[in-house]
Amino acid sequence: MIVDGFFIAGAIICALSVLLSVFATITRDHPDDYAIISVAAVEVFLVVYGISAAIRQAGGQPIAGETWEFWGYVATALFVPVVAFAWAITDKTRWSNAVLAAVGLTVFVMLYRMEQIWDGAALA
Amino acid sequence: MNTPATQQSTGRQAGLGRIIIAVYGIFAISSTARAGYQILTKFGEAPLAYALSAVAAVVYIIATIALASHKPGSWRLSLIALLIELVGVIVVGILSFALPQDFAHPAVWSHFGQGYGYIPLVLPLIGLWWLFRHREPAAGR
Repeated sequence: MIVDGFFIAGAIICALSVLLSVFATITRDHPDDYAIISVAAVEVFLVVYGISAAIRQAGGQPIAGETWEFWGYVATALFVPVVAFAWAITDKTRWSNAVLAAVGLTVFVMLYRMEQIWDGAALA
Repeated sequence: MNTPATQQSTGRQAGLGRIIIAVYGIFAISSTARAGYQILTKFGEAPLAYALSAVAAVVYIIATIALASHKPGSWRLSLIALLIELVGVIVVGILSFALPQDFAHPAVWSHFGQGYGYIPLVLPLIGLWWLFRHREPAAGR
């Protein structure tokens, strides 16, 4: 897999979101604003990543791997922060922060796989 | 739905309890799908392991429903399901090391849930701990 700017940006945003949310799990007994904002940032990154991927593809940069698999991951990943946000507004406890922390981890793994598919790398 | 928020947030189904229910739900769905696939396509290859996979799937389904339920008796049913789960993962874990020829094919509980990152072993312990922290309120509270 080629480490590009998208991957680095996504990895940093996911890592910050996980750190903030884990910290909030320890220190807050309610869903933390910054943890929620960090998960929103992950969602914004995914939207930008998806639009950029569409532009790159339209501009003659084809996906080396399976196209449907790549877009399947994009579409699924877009739901992850939304589900965690819905969780956090319906469960006002400490543990919503742990659910928010799972977003960054999940999206990072999915982004890693998306980048692999984009470059046509085989599943490790 | 009219329960005060403070009361709801300390309930068995809120907070960490909700995460536990979600993880049980994921295991119920994935183990049912996997056991169903294994039994339909290659039951003859490892009948014992796949039959135990089906048992595990049923236990996960019952545990998910019981943990999520507010009905009276659901606490007790959760306790029974989680105890069966804990005994199951330990017995199947030991058997898979003692009788490797019968467990050549992977199942949820073989090798103490190794294929699932040992979550099947840890999950009932966390679940039981949570259950005993949130005992069913006595009747006529």
